[in-house]
Amino acid sequence: MLRNTLISSNSLIAKNQSQLLKVCSVTATNNQKRDQKTMPVVDRANPEKLAASAFGWKQSNWADWTVARLDDLLNWGRKGSIWPLTFGLACCAVEMMHIAAPRYDMDRYGVVFRASPRQADCIIVAGTVTNKMAPALRKVFDQMPEPRWVISMGSCANGGGYYHYSYSVVRGCDRIIPVDIYVPGCPPTAEALMYGVLQLQKKVKRMRTLQMWYRK
Amino acid sequence: MRIRDLAIYFGFDKLQRLYQDVKIHGGLLMAIQKFRRFDDLKSGRLIGQDKYGNKYYENLYYFFGRSRWVEYPEYKNCEMDGSQVAPEWSGWLSYRTDAPPYADPIKIYTKYKWMLDHSENLSGTKHAYMPYSTTKPKIEAWVPKKDD
Amino acid sequence: MLRVPLTRAICLTHSSRVLVTASARLQSNIPAKAPEKVEVFIDDQPVMVAPGTTVLQAAAQIGVEIPRFCYHERLAVAGNCRMCLVEVEKSPKPVAACAMPVMKGWRIKTNSEMTRKAREGVMEFLLANHPLDCPICDQGGECDLQDQAMVFGSDRSRFTDIDHAGKRAVEDKDIGPLVKTIMTRCIHCTRCIRFASEIAGVDDFGTTGRGNEMQVGTYVEKLFLTELSGNVIDLCPVGALTNKPYSFSARPWEVRKIDSIDVLDALGSNIVVSTRTGEVLRILPRENEDINEEWLSDKSRFACDGLKRQRLITPMLRKPNGELEAVEWETALIGVAQAVQNAGDKVAAVAGSLVDAEQLIAVKDLLNRLGSELLCTEQKFPTADGTSGTDFRSNYLLNSSIAACEEADLVLLVGTNPRYEAPLLNTRLRKGYVHKEQDIALIGPKVDLSYRYEHLGNSSSIVQDIASGKHPFAQRLKSAKRPLVIVGANALSRSDGKAFLAGLHSFANQLTPEDKNWKVWNVLQTNASQVAALDMGYKAGVEEIVAAGPKVLFLLGADGGAINKDNIPKDCFVVYLGHHGDNGAPLAHAILPGAAYTEKQATYVNTEGRAQQTLVAITPPGMARDDWKIIRALSEVIGTSLPYDNLDEIRDRLEDVAPHLVRYGRLEENNFYAQAAQLAKLQASSLQGDIDVKQRTLADFFMTDSISRASPTMAKCVQAVKKAQATA
Repeated sequence: MLRNTLISSNSLIAKNQSQLLKVCSVTATNNQKRDQKTMPVVDRANPEKLAASAFGWKQSNWADWTVARLDDLLNWGRKGSIWPLTFGLACCAVEMMHIAAPRYDMDRYGVVFRASPRQADCIIVAGTVTNKMAPALRKVFDQMPEPRWVISMGSCANGGGYYHYSYSVVRGCDRIIPVDIYVPGCPPTAEALMYGVLQLQKKVKRMRTLQMWYRK
Repeated sequence: MRIRDLAIYFGFDKLQRLYQDVKIHGGLLMAIQKFRRFDDLKSGRLIGQDKYGNKYYENLYYFFGRSRWVEYPEYKNCEMDGSQVAPEWSGWLSYRTDAPPYADPIKIYTKYKWMLDHSENLSGTKHAYMPYSTTKPKIEAWVPKKDD
Repeated sequence: MLRVPLTRAICLTHSSRVLVTASARLQSNIPAKAPEKVEVFIDDQPVMVAPGTTVLQAAAQIGVEIPRFCYHERLAVAGNCRMCLVEVEKSPKPVAACAMPVMKGWRIKTNSEMTRKAREGVMEFLLANHPLDCPICDQGGECDLQDQAMVFGSDRSRFTDIDHAGKRAVEDKDIGPLVKTIMTRCIHCTRCIRFASEIAGVDDFGTTGRGNEMQVGTYVEKLFLTELSGNVIDLCPVGALTNKPYSFSARPWEVRKIDSIDVLDALGSNIVVSTRTGEVLRILPRENEDINEEWLSDKSRFACDGLKRQRLITPMLRKPNGELEAVEWETALIGVAQAVQNAGDKVAAVAGSLVDAEQLIAVKDLLNRLGSELLCTEQKFPTADGTSGTDFRSNYLLNSSIAACEEADLVLLVGTNPRYEAPLLNTRLRKGYVHKEQDIALIGPKVDLSYRYEHLGNSSSIVQDIASGKHPFAQRLKSAKRPLVIVGANALSRSDGKAFLAGLHSFANQLTPEDKNWKVWNVLQTNASQVAALDMGYKAGVEEIVAAGPKVLFLLGADGGAINKDNIPKDCFVVYLGHHGDNGAPLAHAILPGAAYTEKQATYVNTEGRAQQTLVAITPPGMARDDWKIIRALSEVIGTSLPYDNLDEIRDRLEDVAPHLVRYGRLEENNFYAQAAQLAKLQASSLQGDIDVKQRTLADFFMTDSISRASPTMAKCVQAVKKAQATA
C-alpha cells in the first residue's frame, strides 16, 4: 500500500549535484564578506557536535554532572507540558485560537489552554492591554504558580503598538509583568505564535533550577 | 487480497511500515536516535540539501501539511530551530511552491547582491539583538573636566 | 472689605504719597468703629456680615461660590468680567457680586433663572471671541473658562461665522523667557495687570484700545522684568499666559503632585512639585498664609529644570592620574573610609546652602564620633568674643515672622536687598507700604525695591550712628509703634559683621514697641540650610577649618566658593556630598551623589525658624541616594555605626538635639532677647567702608546656587535681562 516508492537519496543528489554545487559555491564567495552574526555554514568534514543537553555533557565533577542531568529531566518535563493561560484581549486572540486548532495543533507540543491561572505555567498576553485591564493582568499573573512564563503576543502587548499614544493603553505588557518571549506582528500569525512557544521551550530547556539550588 | 485487507483491518500494515522505516534509517538504534531528535520517524524522498546541511524530504503518503519536512544536520543535535531553514527552501517547505529551489521555474526566491546572508534566530544567545535607547537621558550627568 | 481699587493702587506707587496716607487712614478707621453687622440672605439663608462686605464675600461665608474670572482675593476689585452677576431681589438688573457691597436685608439669589441667564450670556460673549483650541492649549484641564463653560455655559452655540470673518485675533507678545503669551485667548480679566502693578510693583502691563479692539499688553514691546512674573501664569484664568518652559509637556491630570518646600531662598515657600515619568515638570506655589501667601518667586518656580542637568549620578573617586572615575558605591565608601581612618580626628565638614537637617545631624554625629568639632557652614555669622553669636537663636532669626512684617509701621533694612534675597518677604513689605502706611528705610546700595523707601546712604558709619542713637532715624525708630530692623545675612558675614550685630541688636532691644511681644531684631538669611545648621551647633564661616588644615574635608553641597583650591591643604582629601557638579565637585577626591530637595523627605528650617519638610517627588537619579543614608553607610564602613537606620530614628535624634526641628509647620517662640543683647555689647571695633549687597539687579537674582546655576531657563533669564538692560 505504499503510494510512493522510495527513491534512494544518492541517485537524486547525483542527478542534481551540479545545481547543488552551484548554489554552494555562490554562497561560499559571499561567505567571506558575511556578518559574523549570520548562521555558520557547515564545515561538513568536521562539524562541531553540539551536546543533547543545554548544559553540555562535561561537568567538572560527578555531583555537578548528576545535578545537570536531573535538571535536564526536569526541563524536559516542563517544556513538554507548557500549559498556557489564555489572555485574549483583542484580535491577536483569534490567532491564538488558531494554534489550538488542528492545523497547528499545539497539543502535539503538550501545550493545552487552561482557563485558570492556578493551573497554568505560562500566560499568553494576546492583544492590547488597556489601563483598565492592567490590574487584572497583574492579579492573574500573581495567581500563577512558579515557575511561570509570559509570552507577549503582538505589537500591542509588546509595546502598545498602534495604540501606543492612546491615553488609556499600557505601553507594553512588560510594564506590568516580566515577559519571556515577545512575538512580533500585528497580529502575529498562528505560526509565529507557535514559533514563540517553541522559543519558550528552548528557554525552559536552559533553566538551571537544581543546579542553582545545589550551588547555593 | 483478503489476507491483506485483514492485515490492514488489524493494523499490521502500520507495523510493516514501522519496520520499513526502521530499516531505512539503518537499524533500530539509528531509528531510536532519530526519534529522540525529531520526536518522529518519517521516511521520504530526499529532495535536496542546503548549504547548512539541512535535508529536505517529501513523502506524499502523509497528508498535506506533513508531507514535506526538514531534517536538521546531525551535529546540531537537539539545538534546532525553524529559522535554520535556508531561505530558498522556505517556500518549498511551506507549500508556496512545489518546485525545489534548484529547479524552480518561477524563481520564488532570488538572491540579490544587496541581500544580507541568512541568519538563524539568535534570541537567547549572546549574539541576540539588544535594543538600545535612542532617547536622550532625562537626567544629564555632570562630567568632570579633564584638567581639574 | 473692598480693596483699594486698581486706579488708586497704581497711583499709590508713583505720584502722591499724600493720597496713600489719606486713603489708608480712611480705611484703617473703619474697623475702629466696631461695625454693626448687617443681615443679608443668600439663597434665603441668613448671614451676618460686616458692612462693606461684597456680595461675593458674603456668599463665600456660607460656602456659596459665585463664578468669577476677574475677581481675586489678593488683588483689587476690577469688576469687568461680569461673570459674577447675581440677582438681587427688587433690583431690576443683575449686580456684579464682586464689586457690590451688601445692603441690609438684601435677598441675593445665586441660582435663580435671571442669574443663570446672565451667566450664560456673559459666557457666550466671552466665548464668542475665545479660540476653541483647548486641545492644544496648555491651560486645558486647569482652565477656569473651560470649567465654568461646562457648568454655567450654554449647551449650544449661536456663533455662526457667515461672513467667514473669523474670530478676533490678537498678536502674541514677547514678555520674556518665562511667560508664554497667546493673547488671542485673553478674556481681559486684567488680573495680570493688577498683579503687576499691585503686588510686583512694575507698571508694565495695561490695556490699549476699547471694545473689540481692547488688548492687554505692554504697549511697546517690553519684557516683564520682575522676580515674580511666574505668578501671572497661575492668575490667568485662561491659557493666555502660560508657563514657557513647561509648554506642551504634560496635562494636569497626568502629573503627580507632591507637596514640598522650596529651598532656593531662606523663606521656605510652600510648593507643589508636579512630576511625571520620573521628571520634575514644574513647580507651583502652595498656599500658606504665614509664608508665601500664594505667590512664588521665579527662581523657585522655574529653576526646576536645573534638577535635570549637571547631576552627580554615580559615585566617583579620583584616580592617581588626577581624573575622576565613576565607581561603585562600595568602592567609593571604602575609599572615603580609608581616608577618614588615616586622618584621625583631622576631619572637617562644610555645609552648603541646600543641605537638610537630617544630613547635618548625621555628619555632625559622625564627625563627633571621630573626635572632630570642625563643622562649619559656608556663610559667616559673627561669633567672635563679645557677641553671643550663634548661641542664641534669636540672634540669627527673622524673629517677627514673615507674616508680621507687613504689620510694621517703620522698617529699617540694613545691607540687604529683600527684593532678590527673599522676593516674597518683599511683597509683604510692599503690601505694608501700599495698604498699611508702612515706611521703609534702607542702608546699603540704592536698589529698586519696587516701592519707595528712604535711602539713608550706603556707608556703614550710618549703622553706627543709628546704633548709638545719633542719627535722626534712630529717633523715628524709637517713636515708632511697631519698628522693625531687618539685617541681611550677607552684611553680617562681613569681617566687621560682629559690630553690626552688636550695635544694631542692642539698639533694637532698647526700642519699646507698643506691643510687648513685638520683635524688632530680624536677620534675613539667604541660605535655606543656615538656620538648621546653626541650631545644631555648626559654626558659621570656614575660617576655623582653613586654620586647622584638615586631612579629610566633607563638602556638603558647598558650592558657594568659601572653600577653594587655595585655602585647603594640598594633601587634604576632599569628599563632595551633593547633587550637582558645580563649584565644589571639581575639588573633590571622592564624590558621593546625594539627592536634591525634590528627591528626599527632609527637614528645612526657614529664616523665621519654622521647620518644614520636603517630600519625595521623584527618586534620586542613577546611583544617587538620600544624603543622610550615605553618611550612615559610610559610618558603618568606617567602623562607628550611627545609631539610626530609618527616617523616624534620625528624626528622634534631631528631636534630641533641637526639638523644634521636628515640629513641622510651627513657629517656635524665641526668647533670651535681653540676654543676647546684653552679651552683644557694642564693641570698640568700628565699621568701615560701604555696605554692599550681592544681588543688586534682576540679573543677579536668577543664578545663586547649584540648582539655579545648572538651569537653562535661568540662564535664558539672565541673558534676557542683560539684553533688556543694555537696550534700555
